[in-house]
Amino acid sequence: MNLLNYVEGSSFLHRCNPITKLAAAFLYGMACILCGSIVGELILIALMILIAGTAHLAGRAVRLTWRLLVLGLLMFLIQLFFVRTGDPLVVVGGFTLITKDGLVSALLLSLRVVATMLPLMLLFAITEISDLCNALVKSAHIPYRYAFIVTTAFRFVPILATEYHDIEDAQKSRGVDLDTKNIFRKIKLVVPLTVPLLVSSLKKVDSSAISAEMRGFAMRTGASGYKEYPFGMRDAVVFVFLAACIACSVLFLRGGMYLI
Amino acid sequence: MIEIKNLTFQYKKSDKPALRDVNLAIPDGDFVGIIGTSGAGKTTLALSMNGVIPHQIEGDYYGSVSVNGLDTVDTPTSKLCRIVGEVFQDIDSQMVSSVVEDEILFGMENFGVPHDEIGVRLERILADVGIEDLRHRRIASLSGGQKQKVAIAAILALEPDVIVLDEPTGELDPESSRQVFSLLRKMNREKGITVIVIEQKIMLLCEYVKHLLVLQDGVIRFDGPTREVIAHTDDFKQLGINIPRVTELYGRLSEKRDAGGRIPLDVEEAVAMVRGVMKR
Repeated sequence: MNLLNYVEGSSFLHRCNPITKLAAAFLYGMACILCGSIVGELILIALMILIAGTAHLAGRAVRLTWRLLVLGLLMFLIQLFFVRTGDPLVVVGGFTLITKDGLVSALLLSLRVVATMLPLMLLFAITEISDLCNALVKSAHIPYRYAFIVTTAFRFVPILATEYHDIEDAQKSRGVDLDTKNIFRKIKLVVPLTVPLLVSSLKKVDSSAISAEMRGFAMRTGASGYKEYPFGMRDAVVFVFLAACIACSVLFLRGGMYLI
Repeated sequence: MIEIKNLTFQYKKSDKPALRDVNLAIPDGDFVGIIGTSGAGKTTLALSMNGVIPHQIEGDYYGSVSVNGLDTVDTPTSKLCRIVGEVFQDIDSQMVSSVVEDEILFGMENFGVPHDEIGVRLERILADVGIEDLRHRRIASLSGGQKQKVAIAAILALEPDVIVLDEPTGELDPESSRQVFSLLRKMNREKGITVIVIEQKIMLLCEYVKHLLVLQDGVIRFDGPTREVIAHTDDFKQLGINIPRVTELYGRLSEKRDAGGRIPLDVEEAVAMVRGVMKR
């Protein structure tokens, strides 16, 4: 989870409007989807890492890319064996295992997955979720109820993680072999732990609800939020930049040729 | 002013009442401590003071509770909660935000405090509670004592007449516990806020509260000024509540000599008592 938490900062990206950041992550993803060349996807990934670098997040971007490559690999394998058109590349006993089209489209698809996901993952590093929700309630008029669900879900992750570790430690101290290397055995041992976790989290949800209710949750309206999230020149710059990215994708990186 | 008359309450899935025929009056500006073994009905009593019982939590409800003359059954919780604010036992689950500032803003925003006033009030509350330096911190990164102060600040921001706290020092070290109680005393003295605190640490209660309330099996056993209530040493032992060591000392001394007839409530008073005995 520590690859998704918020990192405090005062960089250009940090100071953008939360809505701009969200839109930017989606628009960048769109540029990646529109891009049809392998080199283009690589450029977009590299550019994203550079952009993250301006917010001192290059290290995290690289680590995230690495993690996402695992997902990419899965997509690569599926695509590799499912695409049947094109010149045969690997033939085993008269059966065409891999084709040239398959290889190219698999590479493109897996890189595209990585490139599209990366900005969305980095969004969490530069945006306080509560700010994002507050801004969406204020500017996009999303009902506060839904925004609250999202912020609460994020807030509960570390609380439940601590709770789970406590339960795990309690079991370990009673001799339950949770450190086992055998993955099947471990799953078997962990499943019963989810019951106390579920019970305690339900209790927490109850008292959380009463606490919110007591501080006037039901009376809240879209205009209640105290903090303002104005749009500025900074946000305009971001949108212009992303328009350029999408234009480049469409005009120069449509693919057609195999590698460019 | 909170007035409770013949209150009996039984939770929906329980087979015996959590509170039985409770009668209680808490005047404005009081500082009340509630003590009792677990299951004695302390939390139930606290929840019935601001309408969470019977509005949010269902069960069999008899008798009446009135807050500033408003009957809690007829008044919506949203109105009662602005008079009686409550800090719950589970410190993590009552937080609604991930940043301290947002947590304190939450209630004020909801109740529609004018935006130009919110900023002023926020700064004042942070200063009153002494957590200005925590303003932009993430709640998950705070210590137990700091979290407790944030929870108190979030309630004080609504400017209630009464603040109820359910075991605020349950997970705190002795130093943070004292800080919390000192803060409560300051609010009680300077702002005239009525403080009602459920607490297991008898020593803290003796030192800080004006009134002590002892609950047992849903019944009020003792209710009166701290010094009077604490004098029932034998009953306390029977109830399984520890008595402060200074009280114990007084008891032992008075068996043999004239200890002065005034039960000490803190170490300073105990020192004075021992000096007095030695002089005589």
